[in-house]
Amino acid sequence: MNRRKFIDFFLGGSLAGTVIAFLYPTIRYILPTKQTEAVIKKVTAAKLGELAPNTSKIFKFGTSPGILINTSDGELRAFSAICTHLTCTVIYESDTGTILCPCHNGRFDLSGNVISGPPPAPLESYNVEISGEDIVASKKG
Amino acid sequence: MKARKMRKIINLLSIFFLAISIFSLSLYAQKNSCVECHQELEDELLAPVEAFKIDIHQQFGLSCADCHGGNPAEEDIDLAKDKTFKGAPQRFRIPEFCASCHSDSRYMRRFNPRIRVDQLDIYWTSKHGQLLKKGDTKVALCTDCHAAHGIQAATHPKSWTFPWNIPQTCSRCHSDTNYMKDYKIPTKQWDDYKDSVHAHALFEKKDLSAPVCNDCHGNHGATPPEVTSIAYICRQCHPSAGELFSQSPHKKAFDEMELSECEACHGNHKILPPSDEMLGTGEKAVCIQCHEPDSEPYQIASRIKEKLDAFIKKIRHAESLLEQADRQGVEVSEPKFMLTEANSTLIFVRNLTHSFSLMEIEEKIEEGKKVVAEVTNAGEAALREAKFRKTGLIIATCFIFLLSIALFLKIKQITKKTPNESP
Repeated sequence: MNRRKFIDFFLGGSLAGTVIAFLYPTIRYILPTKQTEAVIKKVTAAKLGELAPNTSKIFKFGTSPGILINTSDGELRAFSAICTHLTCTVIYESDTGTILCPCHNGRFDLSGNVISGPPPAPLESYNVEISGEDIVASKKG
Repeated sequence: MKARKMRKIINLLSIFFLAISIFSLSLYAQKNSCVECHQELEDELLAPVEAFKIDIHQQFGLSCADCHGGNPAEEDIDLAKDKTFKGAPQRFRIPEFCASCHSDSRYMRRFNPRIRVDQLDIYWTSKHGQLLKKGDTKVALCTDCHAAHGIQAATHPKSWTFPWNIPQTCSRCHSDTNYMKDYKIPTKQWDDYKDSVHAHALFEKKDLSAPVCNDCHGNHGATPPEVTSIAYICRQCHPSAGELFSQSPHKKAFDEMELSECEACHGNHKILPPSDEMLGTGEKAVCIQCHEPDSEPYQIASRIKEKLDAFIKKIRHAESLLEQADRQGVEVSEPKFMLTEANSTLIFVRNLTHSFSLMEIEEKIEEGKKVVAEVTNAGEAALREAKFRKTGLIIATCFIFLLSIALFLKIKQITKKTPNESP
Protein backbone atom coordinates (compact mmCIF):
# COMPACT_ATOMS: atom_id res chain seq x y z
CA MET A 1 0.00 0.00 0.00
CA ASN A 2 1.48 3.33 -1.04
CA ARG A 3 1.23 6.55 0.96
CA ARG A 4 -1.70 8.06 -1.10
CA LYS A 5 -3.78 4.89 -0.71
CA PHE A 6 -3.08 4.76 2.99
CA ILE A 7 -4.23 8.38 3.45
CA ASP A 8 -7.39 7.74 1.36
CA PHE A 9 -8.18 4.62 3.41
CA PHE A 10 -7.51 6.46 6.66
CA LEU A 11 -9.72 9.43 5.69
CA GLY A 12 -12.51 7.16 4.35
CA GLY A 13 -12.52 5.10 7.54
CA SER A 14 -12.64 8.23 9.70
CA LEU A 15 -15.52 9.62 7.64
CA ALA A 16 -17.47 6.37 7.96
CA GLY A 17 -16.81 6.35 11.73
CA THR A 18 -18.03 9.95 12.02
CA VAL A 19 -21.22 9.16 10.08
CA ILE A 20 -21.94 6.13 12.29
CA ALA A 21 -21.18 8.10 15.46
CA PHE A 22 -23.70 10.69 14.34
CA LEU A 23 -26.39 8.39 12.98
CA TYR A 24 -26.41 5.73 15.72
CA PRO A 25 -27.61 7.97 18.59
CA THR A 26 -30.04 9.66 16.18
CA ILE A 27 -31.58 6.31 15.20
CA ARG A 28 -31.62 5.17 18.83
CA TYR A 29 -33.49 8.34 19.72
CA ILE A 30 -36.02 7.87 16.92
CA LEU A 31 -36.41 4.13 17.57
CA PRO A 32 -35.83 3.81 21.33
CA THR A 33 -35.59 0.54 23.24
CA LYS A 34 -37.37 -0.09 26.54
CA GLN A 35 -35.57 1.59 29.39
CA THR A 36 -35.71 0.87 33.08
CA GLU A 37 -37.18 3.45 35.38
CA ALA A 38 -34.79 5.56 37.44
CA VAL A 39 -34.74 4.46 41.08
CA ILE A 40 -35.83 7.26 43.39
CA LYS A 41 -34.50 7.02 46.92
CA LYS A 42 -35.48 10.34 48.46
CA VAL A 43 -38.27 12.85 47.86
CA THR A 44 -39.76 15.91 49.48
CA ALA A 45 -43.05 14.64 50.86
CA ALA A 46 -44.44 17.92 52.19
CA LYS A 47 -43.52 21.30 53.56
CA LEU A 48 -43.01 21.76 57.27
CA GLY A 49 -46.29 22.74 58.93
CA GLU A 50 -48.33 21.59 55.93
CA LEU A 51 -49.94 18.72 57.85
CA ALA A 52 -52.02 19.27 60.95
CA PRO A 53 -51.80 16.55 63.64
CA ASN A 54 -53.87 13.44 62.88
CA THR A 55 -53.90 14.11 59.13
CA SER A 56 -52.07 12.65 56.17
CA LYS A 57 -50.97 13.38 52.65
CA ILE A 58 -50.39 11.19 49.62
CA PHE A 59 -47.15 12.22 47.97
CA LYS A 60 -45.37 11.17 44.82
CA PHE A 61 -42.41 8.85 45.36
CA GLY A 62 -41.11 8.45 41.82
CA THR A 63 -44.19 7.19 40.01
CA SER A 64 -45.63 5.46 43.08
CA PRO A 65 -47.73 6.90 45.88
CA GLY A 66 -46.35 7.38 49.38
CA ILE A 67 -48.29 8.39 52.46
CA LEU A 68 -47.03 10.88 55.01
CA ILE A 69 -48.86 10.87 58.33
CA ASN A 70 -48.68 13.40 61.09
CA THR A 71 -49.93 11.31 64.02
CA SER A 72 -52.16 12.70 66.75
CA ASP A 73 -48.97 12.99 68.84
CA GLY A 74 -47.41 15.14 66.13
CA GLU A 75 -44.99 12.45 64.98
CA LEU A 76 -44.27 12.23 61.27
CA ARG A 77 -44.31 8.79 59.68
CA ALA A 78 -44.08 7.84 56.02
CA PHE A 79 -44.85 4.62 54.17
CA SER A 80 -45.32 3.37 50.67
CA ALA A 81 -49.03 3.92 50.02
CA ILE A 82 -49.21 0.75 47.95
CA CYS A 83 -51.22 -1.93 49.72
CA THR A 84 -49.31 -5.21 49.83
CA HIS A 85 -52.46 -7.12 48.89
CA LEU A 86 -53.37 -5.93 45.39
CA THR A 87 -51.53 -2.56 45.13
CA CYS A 88 -54.42 -0.18 45.87
CA THR A 89 -53.52 3.17 47.36
CA VAL A 90 -54.02 3.22 51.13
CA ILE A 91 -55.45 6.09 53.18
CA TYR A 92 -55.06 7.30 56.75
CA GLU A 93 -58.18 6.87 58.88
CA SER A 94 -57.97 9.62 61.47
CA ASP A 95 -60.77 8.40 63.74
CA THR A 96 -59.08 5.02 64.29
CA GLY A 97 -55.51 6.22 63.90
CA THR A 98 -54.80 3.40 61.46
CA ILE A 99 -54.03 3.04 57.76
CA LEU A 100 -56.79 1.54 55.65
CA CYS A 101 -56.85 0.07 52.18
CA PRO A 102 -60.33 0.97 50.93
CA CYS A 103 -60.34 -1.71 48.22
CA HIS A 104 -60.53 -4.77 50.49
CA ASN A 105 -60.50 -3.22 53.97
CA GLY A 106 -56.95 -4.22 54.77
CA ARG A 107 -55.82 -2.36 57.87
CA PHE A 108 -52.32 -1.44 59.05
CA ASP A 109 -51.02 0.11 62.26
CA LEU A 110 -48.83 3.20 62.35
CA SER A 111 -45.73 1.01 62.09
CA GLY A 112 -47.05 -0.37 58.81
CA ASN A 113 -47.87 -3.80 60.29
CA VAL A 114 -51.00 -5.64 59.18
CA ILE A 115 -53.81 -5.51 61.73
CA SER A 116 -56.55 -7.20 59.72
CA GLY A 117 -57.78 -8.06 56.25
CA PRO A 118 -56.02 -9.72 53.35
CA PRO A 119 -52.68 -7.84 53.08
CA PRO A 120 -49.92 -10.43 53.39
CA ALA A 121 -47.10 -8.11 54.41
CA PRO A 122 -46.47 -4.79 56.17
CA LEU A 123 -46.29 -1.52 54.27
CA GLU A 124 -42.79 -0.45 53.32
CA SER A 125 -41.84 2.28 55.77
CA TYR A 126 -39.66 5.24 54.88
CA ASN A 127 -37.28 7.34 56.93
CA VAL A 128 -38.59 10.84 57.60
CA GLU A 129 -36.32 13.79 58.24
CA ILE A 130 -36.67 17.54 58.25
CA SER A 131 -34.42 19.38 55.85
CA GLY A 132 -34.90 23.12 56.17
CA GLU A 133 -38.54 23.75 55.29
CA ASP A 134 -38.99 20.32 53.71
CA ILE A 135 -40.19 17.01 55.12
CA VAL A 136 -38.08 14.46 53.29
CA ALA A 137 -39.02 10.79 52.96
CA SER A 138 -36.34 8.31 51.98
CA LYS A 139 -36.07 4.58 51.43
CA LYS A 140 -34.49 2.62 54.25
CA GLY A 141 -31.21 0.77 53.78
CA MET B 1 -5.13 -23.65 120.10
CA LYS B 2 -5.82 -27.37 119.74
CA ALA B 3 -9.56 -26.79 119.87
CA ARG B 4 -9.28 -24.16 117.14
CA LYS B 5 -7.38 -26.59 114.92
CA MET B 6 -9.95 -29.28 115.59
CA ARG B 7 -12.82 -26.90 114.60
CA LYS B 8 -11.01 -26.07 111.38
CA ILE B 9 -10.67 -29.78 110.49
CA ILE B 10 -14.36 -30.38 111.29
CA ASN B 11 -15.39 -27.43 109.06
CA LEU B 12 -13.28 -28.69 106.16
CA LEU B 13 -14.69 -32.21 106.52
CA SER B 14 -18.24 -30.80 106.58
CA ILE B 15 -17.66 -28.86 103.37
CA PHE B 16 -16.14 -31.98 101.78
CA PHE B 17 -19.10 -34.23 102.70
CA LEU B 18 -21.59 -31.58 101.66
CA ALA B 19 -19.94 -31.29 98.25
CA ILE B 20 -19.93 -35.08 97.88
CA SER B 21 -23.64 -35.21 98.81
CA ILE B 22 -24.62 -32.50 96.31
CA PHE B 23 -22.59 -34.20 93.57
CA SER B 24 -24.22 -37.59 94.31
CA LEU B 25 -27.68 -36.06 94.38
CA SER B 26 -27.12 -34.29 91.05
CA LEU B 27 -25.91 -37.54 89.52
CA TYR B 28 -29.02 -39.26 90.90
CA ALA B 29 -31.22 -36.52 89.55
CA GLN B 30 -29.65 -36.54 86.09
CA LYS B 31 -29.78 -40.27 85.77
CA ASN B 32 -32.37 -41.37 83.23
CA SER B 33 -32.58 -45.11 83.03
CA CYS B 34 -35.37 -44.85 80.41
CA VAL B 35 -32.93 -43.30 77.94
CA GLU B 36 -30.07 -45.54 78.99
CA CYS B 37 -32.10 -48.68 78.30
CA HIS B 38 -34.01 -47.52 75.23
CA GLN B 39 -30.93 -46.31 73.39
CA GLU B 40 -29.61 -49.85 73.53
CA LEU B 41 -32.78 -51.09 71.83
CA GLU B 42 -33.84 -50.91 68.18
CA ASP B 43 -36.55 -49.52 65.88
CA GLU B 44 -39.74 -48.33 67.59
CA LEU B 45 -38.20 -48.77 71.04
CA LEU B 46 -35.19 -46.63 70.12
CA ALA B 47 -37.15 -44.05 68.08
CA PRO B 48 -38.59 -42.12 71.06
CA VAL B 49 -35.08 -41.50 72.45
CA GLU B 50 -33.88 -40.09 69.12
CA ALA B 51 -37.01 -38.04 68.50
CA PHE B 52 -37.14 -36.62 72.02
CA LYS B 53 -33.79 -34.87 71.47
CA ILE B 54 -35.58 -32.16 69.49
CA ASP B 55 -38.85 -32.30 71.42
CA ILE B 56 -40.12 -29.05 72.91
CA HIS B 57 -40.89 -30.84 76.18
CA GLN B 58 -37.22 -31.74 76.50
CA GLN B 59 -36.31 -28.10 75.88
CA PHE B 60 -38.52 -27.13 78.83
CA GLY B 61 -36.75 -29.62 81.10
CA LEU B 62 -39.33 -32.40 81.01
CA SER B 63 -38.30 -36.02 80.72
CA CYS B 64 -39.86 -39.38 79.85
CA ALA B 65 -41.15 -39.83 83.41
CA ASP B 66 -43.12 -36.58 83.29
CA CYS B 67 -45.48 -38.19 80.79
CA HIS B 68 -44.95 -41.91 81.27
CA GLY B 69 -44.29 -42.00 84.99
CA GLY B 70 -41.84 -44.40 86.65
CA ASN B 71 -38.57 -43.70 88.39
CA PRO B 72 -35.76 -43.03 85.90
CA ALA B 73 -33.24 -42.83 88.73
CA GLU B 74 -33.48 -46.56 89.27
CA GLU B 75 -31.29 -48.81 87.15
CA ASP B 76 -33.31 -51.93 87.76
CA ILE B 77 -36.18 -52.13 85.27
CA ASP B 78 -38.60 -53.46 87.86
CA LEU B 79 -37.77 -50.69 90.28
CA ALA B 80 -37.85 -48.07 87.51
CA LYS B 81 -41.32 -49.19 86.49
CA ASP B 82 -42.75 -48.46 89.94
CA LYS B 83 -46.41 -47.87 90.76
CA THR B 84 -46.32 -44.41 89.11
CA PHE B 85 -45.35 -45.95 85.75
CA LYS B 86 -47.99 -45.37 83.07
CA GLY B 87 -46.13 -46.57 79.99
CA ALA B 88 -47.45 -45.80 76.50
CA PRO B 89 -51.11 -44.85 76.63
CA GLN B 90 -53.69 -46.79 74.67
CA ARG B 91 -54.52 -44.92 71.47
CA PHE B 92 -57.99 -43.84 72.51
CA ARG B 93 -56.61 -42.44 75.76
CA ILE B 94 -54.03 -40.17 74.12
CA PRO B 95 -56.11 -36.94 74.17
CA GLU B 96 -56.69 -37.24 77.91
CA PHE B 97 -53.09 -38.35 78.42
CA CYS B 98 -51.79 -35.10 76.88
CA ALA B 99 -54.55 -33.06 78.49
CA SER B 100 -53.49 -34.17 81.96
CA CYS B 101 -50.91 -31.39 81.67
CA HIS B 102 -52.22 -29.31 78.74
CA SER B 103 -55.60 -28.68 80.35
CA ASP B 104 -54.05 -27.72 83.66
CA SER B 105 -53.79 -23.94 83.43
CA ARG B 106 -51.81 -23.64 86.65
CA TYR B 107 -49.23 -26.16 85.45
CA MET B 108 -49.02 -24.78 81.88
CA ARG B 109 -48.66 -21.19 83.04
CA ARG B 110 -45.18 -22.07 84.35
CA PHE B 111 -43.99 -22.71 80.82
CA ASN B 112 -46.10 -20.32 78.75
CA PRO B 113 -48.63 -17.95 80.30
CA ARG B 114 -50.34 -17.43 76.94
CA ILE B 115 -50.81 -21.07 75.97
CA ARG B 116 -54.39 -22.31 75.57
CA VAL B 117 -55.60 -25.03 77.88
CA ASP B 118 -58.94 -25.80 76.24
CA GLN B 119 -57.65 -28.03 73.44
CA LEU B 120 -59.28 -31.18 74.83
CA ASP B 121 -62.69 -29.53 75.23
CA ILE B 122 -62.48 -28.23 71.68
CA TYR B 123 -61.23 -31.59 70.42
CA TRP B 124 -64.37 -33.35 71.68
CA THR B 125 -66.41 -30.96 69.48
CA SER B 126 -64.38 -31.87 66.38
CA LYS B 127 -65.34 -34.55 63.90
CA HIS B 128 -62.26 -36.46 65.05
CA GLY B 129 -63.23 -36.19 68.70
CA GLN B 130 -66.86 -37.13 68.09
CA LEU B 131 -65.82 -40.27 66.20
CA LEU B 132 -63.24 -41.17 68.84
CA LYS B 133 -65.94 -41.02 71.47
CA LYS B 134 -67.87 -43.51 69.39
CA GLY B 135 -64.86 -45.82 69.52
CA ASP B 136 -63.23 -45.05 66.16
CA THR B 137 -59.51 -44.97 66.89
CA LYS B 138 -58.54 -44.35 63.25
CA VAL B 139 -59.31 -40.66 63.66
CA ALA B 140 -56.66 -38.05 64.24
CA LEU B 141 -55.42 -37.65 67.80
CA CYS B 142 -52.87 -35.27 69.30
CA THR B 143 -49.92 -37.42 68.23
CA ASP B 144 -51.12 -37.71 64.61
CA CYS B 145 -50.75 -33.97 64.05
CA HIS B 146 -48.05 -33.08 66.58
CA ALA B 147 -45.97 -36.31 66.62
CA ALA B 148 -45.44 -38.33 69.77
CA HIS B 149 -41.85 -37.66 70.74
CA GLY B 150 -40.47 -35.17 68.22
CA ILE B 151 -43.00 -32.48 69.04
CA GLN B 152 -41.89 -29.00 68.06
CA ALA B 153 -43.48 -25.62 68.71
CA ALA B 154 -45.98 -24.63 66.00
CA THR B 155 -43.72 -21.66 65.26
CA HIS B 156 -40.84 -23.94 64.27
CA PRO B 157 -40.64 -24.30 60.46
CA LYS B 158 -40.10 -28.05 60.81
CA SER B 159 -43.09 -28.54 63.07
CA TRP B 160 -45.90 -30.62 61.56
CA THR B 161 -48.21 -27.76 62.53
CA PHE B 162 -46.16 -24.93 60.99
CA PRO B 163 -48.36 -23.29 58.29
CA TRP B 164 -46.59 -24.67 55.26
CA ASN B 165 -46.49 -28.19 56.75
CA ILE B 166 -50.15 -28.33 57.79
CA PRO B 167 -51.58 -29.36 54.37
CA GLN B 168 -49.21 -32.35 54.29
CA THR B 169 -49.98 -33.18 57.92
CA CYS B 170 -53.72 -33.34 57.21
CA SER B 171 -53.27 -35.03 53.87
CA ARG B 172 -51.36 -37.94 55.40
CA CYS B 173 -54.79 -39.31 56.28
CA HIS B 174 -57.17 -37.24 54.17
CA SER B 175 -55.46 -38.02 50.84
CA ASP B 176 -55.17 -41.71 51.59
CA THR B 177 -58.12 -43.19 49.71
CA ASN B 178 -57.69 -46.56 51.36
CA TYR B 179 -57.53 -45.12 54.87
CA MET B 180 -60.48 -42.82 54.26
CA LYS B 181 -62.73 -45.27 52.39
CA ASP B 182 -64.97 -45.89 55.43
CA TYR B 183 -65.72 -42.21 55.86
CA LYS B 184 -67.09 -41.58 52.37
CA ILE B 185 -65.57 -38.12 52.00
CA PRO B 186 -63.44 -36.81 49.12
CA THR B 187 -59.70 -37.37 49.25
CA LYS B 188 -58.58 -34.83 46.66
CA GLN B 189 -58.57 -31.77 48.92
CA TRP B 190 -54.77 -31.59 48.96
CA ASP B 191 -54.57 -31.92 45.16
CA ASP B 192 -57.18 -29.20 44.80
CA TYR B 193 -55.55 -26.95 47.38
CA LYS B 194 -52.18 -27.19 45.59
CA ASP B 195 -53.69 -25.34 42.59
CA SER B 196 -55.35 -22.66 44.69
CA VAL B 197 -54.45 -19.02 45.04
CA HIS B 198 -53.90 -19.65 48.74
CA ALA B 199 -51.37 -22.44 48.09
CA HIS B 200 -49.62 -20.19 45.58
CA ALA B 201 -49.34 -17.45 48.22
CA LEU B 202 -48.10 -19.91 50.82
CA PHE B 203 -45.67 -22.01 48.83
CA GLU B 204 -44.52 -19.62 46.09
CA LYS B 205 -44.62 -16.29 47.90
CA LYS B 206 -43.89 -17.85 51.31
CA ASP B 207 -46.79 -15.86 52.72
CA LEU B 208 -47.48 -17.48 56.08
CA SER B 209 -50.74 -15.57 56.47
CA ALA B 210 -52.27 -17.55 53.58
CA PRO B 211 -54.92 -19.92 54.87
CA VAL B 212 -54.23 -23.62 55.27
CA CYS B 213 -56.60 -26.40 56.35
CA ASN B 214 -56.95 -25.34 59.99
CA ASP B 215 -57.71 -21.71 59.17
CA CYS B 216 -61.05 -22.73 57.66
CA HIS B 217 -61.77 -26.00 59.46
CA GLY B 218 -60.30 -25.25 62.86
CA ASN B 219 -57.41 -27.18 64.34
CA HIS B 220 -58.32 -28.99 67.56
CA GLY B 221 -61.99 -28.52 66.71
CA ALA B 222 -61.56 -29.46 63.04
CA THR B 223 -64.88 -29.99 61.33
CA PRO B 224 -66.33 -29.21 57.89
CA PRO B 225 -67.85 -25.72 57.99
CA GLU B 226 -71.62 -25.51 57.77
CA VAL B 227 -73.08 -23.88 54.65
CA THR B 228 -74.06 -20.84 56.69
CA SER B 229 -70.64 -20.42 58.25
CA ILE B 230 -68.49 -20.60 55.12
CA ALA B 231 -69.01 -16.93 54.34
CA TYR B 232 -68.00 -15.95 57.86
CA ILE B 233 -64.84 -18.01 57.55
CA CYS B 234 -63.85 -16.26 54.31
CA ARG B 235 -64.68 -12.91 55.90
CA GLN B 236 -61.93 -13.42 58.44
CA CYS B 237 -59.55 -12.32 55.70
CA HIS B 238 -61.93 -10.88 53.09
CA PRO B 239 -64.27 -8.69 55.13
CA SER B 240 -65.19 -6.13 52.47
CA ALA B 241 -66.31 -8.65 49.85
CA GLY B 242 -68.49 -10.28 52.51
CA GLU B 243 -70.04 -6.99 53.58
CA LEU B 244 -70.86 -6.09 49.98
CA PHE B 245 -72.38 -9.50 49.37
CA SER B 246 -74.52 -9.24 52.52
CA GLN B 247 -76.03 -6.01 51.23
CA SER B 248 -76.68 -7.47 47.79
CA PRO B 249 -79.88 -9.14 46.57
CA HIS B 250 -77.91 -12.38 46.34
CA LYS B 251 -77.73 -12.74 50.12
CA LYS B 252 -81.44 -13.47 50.51
CA ALA B 253 -81.55 -15.69 47.43
CA PHE B 254 -78.52 -17.72 48.55
CA ASP B 255 -79.97 -18.15 52.03
CA GLU B 256 -83.26 -19.35 50.60
CA MET B 257 -81.54 -21.78 48.27
CA GLU B 258 -79.15 -22.86 51.05
CA LEU B 259 -76.15 -22.00 48.93
CA SER B 260 -72.88 -21.23 50.65
CA GLU B 261 -72.02 -17.66 49.73
CA CYS B 262 -68.37 -17.38 48.62
CA GLU B 263 -67.94 -21.07 47.90
CA ALA B 264 -70.76 -21.16 45.33
CA CYS B 265 -68.72 -19.02 42.90
CA HIS B 266 -65.14 -19.38 44.12
CA GLY B 267 -65.05 -23.05 45.10
CA ASN B 268 -63.57 -24.40 48.32
CA HIS B 269 -60.19 -26.08 48.32
CA LYS B 270 -59.37 -25.17 44.72
CA ILE B 271 -59.94 -21.43 44.97
CA LEU B 272 -58.34 -20.08 41.83
CA PRO B 273 -57.24 -16.46 41.46
CA PRO B 274 -60.42 -14.55 40.63
CA SER B 275 -60.57 -13.29 37.06
CA ASP B 276 -62.79 -10.88 35.17
CA GLU B 277 -64.01 -13.84 33.10
CA MET B 278 -65.94 -15.02 36.15
CA LEU B 279 -68.25 -12.05 35.62
CA GLY B 280 -70.81 -11.53 32.87
CA THR B 281 -72.28 -14.11 30.60
CA GLY B 282 -69.25 -15.66 28.92
CA GLU B 283 -68.27 -19.32 29.02
CA LYS B 284 -66.30 -19.00 32.24
CA ALA B 285 -68.82 -16.70 33.92
CA VAL B 286 -70.23 -17.96 37.19
CA CYS B 287 -73.40 -15.86 36.83
CA ILE B 288 -74.77 -18.17 34.13
CA GLN B 289 -74.77 -21.08 36.55
CA CYS B 290 -78.02 -19.70 37.99
CA HIS B 291 -79.30 -16.92 35.73
CA GLU B 292 -81.24 -17.71 32.58
CA PRO B 293 -80.50 -15.72 29.38
CA ASP B 294 -82.85 -12.77 28.90
CA SER B 295 -83.54 -12.58 32.63
CA GLU B 296 -82.90 -9.21 34.26
CA PRO B 297 -79.99 -10.39 36.44
CA TYR B 298 -78.44 -11.95 33.33
CA GLN B 299 -78.64 -8.59 31.57
CA ILE B 300 -77.17 -6.82 34.61
CA ALA B 301 -74.28 -9.29 34.72
CA SER B 302 -73.67 -8.65 31.05
CA ARG B 303 -73.74 -4.86 31.54
CA ILE B 304 -71.36 -5.03 34.51
CA LYS B 305 -68.89 -7.04 32.45
CA GLU B 306 -69.18 -4.64 29.49
CA LYS B 307 -68.59 -1.62 31.72
CA LEU B 308 -65.66 -3.26 33.43
CA ASP B 309 -64.09 -4.38 30.15
CA ALA B 310 -64.44 -0.89 28.68
CA PHE B 311 -62.82 0.64 31.74
CA ILE B 312 -59.94 -1.86 31.63
CA LYS B 313 -59.48 -1.14 27.93
CA LYS B 314 -59.18 2.57 28.65
CA ILE B 315 -56.65 1.97 31.42
CA ARG B 316 -54.57 -0.31 29.21
CA HIS B 317 -54.67 2.27 26.40
CA ALA B 318 -53.50 5.02 28.76
CA GLU B 319 -50.77 2.70 30.09
CA SER B 320 -49.61 1.97 26.57
CA LEU B 321 -49.45 5.69 25.70
CA LEU B 322 -47.36 6.41 28.79
CA GLU B 323 -45.07 3.50 28.08
CA GLN B 324 -44.48 4.69 24.52
CA ALA B 325 -43.86 8.25 25.69
CA ASP B 326 -41.55 7.06 28.45
CA ARG B 327 -39.62 4.96 25.94
CA GLN B 328 -39.20 7.97 23.72
CA GLY B 329 -37.62 9.94 26.52
CA VAL B 330 -40.52 12.18 27.55
CA GLU B 331 -41.00 12.70 31.29
CA VAL B 332 -44.35 11.11 32.26
CA SER B 333 -43.92 10.38 35.97
CA GLU B 334 -46.89 12.61 36.90
CA PRO B 335 -49.45 10.85 34.66
CA LYS B 336 -47.95 7.49 35.70
CA PHE B 337 -48.57 8.49 39.30
CA MET B 338 -52.15 9.43 38.37
CA LEU B 339 -52.58 6.07 36.72
CA THR B 340 -51.99 4.33 40.06
CA GLU B 341 -55.23 6.02 41.20
CA ALA B 342 -57.07 4.61 38.19
CA ASN B 343 -55.65 1.15 38.90
CA SER B 344 -56.78 1.46 42.52
CA THR B 345 -60.26 2.29 41.23
CA LEU B 346 -60.18 -0.80 39.03
CA ILE B 347 -59.27 -3.00 41.99
CA PHE B 348 -61.99 -1.31 44.03
CA VAL B 349 -64.54 -1.91 41.28
CA ARG B 350 -63.59 -5.57 40.97
CA ASN B 351 -64.34 -5.98 44.66
CA LEU B 352 -67.48 -3.85 44.31
CA THR B 353 -68.86 -6.44 41.89
CA HIS B 354 -69.77 -8.45 45.03
CA SER B 355 -72.54 -5.86 45.54
CA PHE B 356 -73.93 -6.68 42.06
CA SER B 357 -75.17 -3.10 41.97
CA LEU B 358 -74.86 -1.84 38.43
CA MET B 359 -75.47 1.73 39.56
CA GLU B 360 -72.72 1.74 42.18
CA ILE B 361 -70.31 0.05 39.80
CA GLU B 362 -71.08 2.51 36.99
CA GLU B 363 -70.64 5.44 39.38
CA LYS B 364 -67.22 4.25 40.52
CA ILE B 365 -66.14 3.44 36.97
CA GLU B 366 -67.13 6.96 35.87
CA GLU B 367 -64.88 8.37 38.61
CA GLY B 368 -62.05 6.22 37.37
CA LYS B 369 -62.70 7.13 33.75
CA LYS B 370 -62.17 10.81 34.54
CA VAL B 371 -58.72 10.03 35.91
CA VAL B 372 -57.97 7.77 32.94
CA ALA B 373 -59.07 10.55 30.55
CA GLU B 374 -56.59 12.93 32.17
CA VAL B 375 -53.85 10.33 31.96
CA THR B 376 -54.73 9.60 28.31
CA ASN B 377 -54.58 13.32 27.48
CA ALA B 378 -51.22 13.59 29.23
CA GLY B 379 -49.99 10.50 27.38
CA GLU B 380 -51.14 11.83 24.01
CA ALA B 381 -49.54 15.20 24.75
CA ALA B 382 -46.32 13.42 25.69
CA LEU B 383 -46.40 11.47 22.42
CA ARG B 384 -47.02 14.67 20.44
CA GLU B 385 -44.03 16.18 22.18
CA ALA B 386 -41.96 13.11 21.33
CA LYS B 387 -43.11 13.30 17.70
CA PHE B 388 -42.25 17.01 17.52
CA ARG B 389 -38.77 16.32 18.90
CA LYS B 390 -38.27 13.44 16.46
CA THR B 391 -39.44 15.47 13.48
CA GLY B 392 -37.16 18.32 14.51
CA LEU B 393 -34.26 15.93 14.81
CA ILE B 394 -34.96 14.35 11.41
CA ILE B 395 -35.17 17.79 9.74
CA ALA B 396 -31.98 18.95 11.49
CA THR B 397 -30.25 15.69 10.48
CA CYS B 398 -31.33 16.15 6.85
CA PHE B 399 -30.00 19.71 6.83
CA ILE B 400 -26.70 18.58 8.32
CA PHE B 401 -26.53 15.78 5.75
CA LEU B 402 -27.28 18.17 2.85
CA LEU B 403 -24.75 20.63 4.21
CA SER B 404 -22.14 17.86 4.32
CA ILE B 405 -22.86 16.94 0.66
CA ALA B 406 -22.76 20.62 -0.35
CA LEU B 407 -19.47 21.07 1.47
CA PHE B 408 -18.08 17.94 -0.15
CA LEU B 409 -19.11 19.13 -3.64
CA LYS B 410 -17.73 22.61 -2.96
CA ILE B 411 -14.40 21.21 -1.84
CA LYS B 412 -14.30 19.00 -4.92
CA GLN B 413 -15.08 22.00 -7.14
CA ILE B 414 -12.34 24.06 -5.50
CA THR B 415 -9.79 21.25 -5.83
CA LYS B 416 -10.72 20.82 -9.55
CA LYS B 417 -10.29 24.55 -10.26
CA THR B 418 -7.02 24.85 -8.38
CA PRO B 419 -4.72 23.20 -11.09
CA ASN B 420 -6.01 25.52 -13.92
CA GLU B 421 -5.68 28.63 -11.79
CA SER B 422 -2.08 27.89 -10.88
CA PRO B 423 0.57 29.47 -13.15
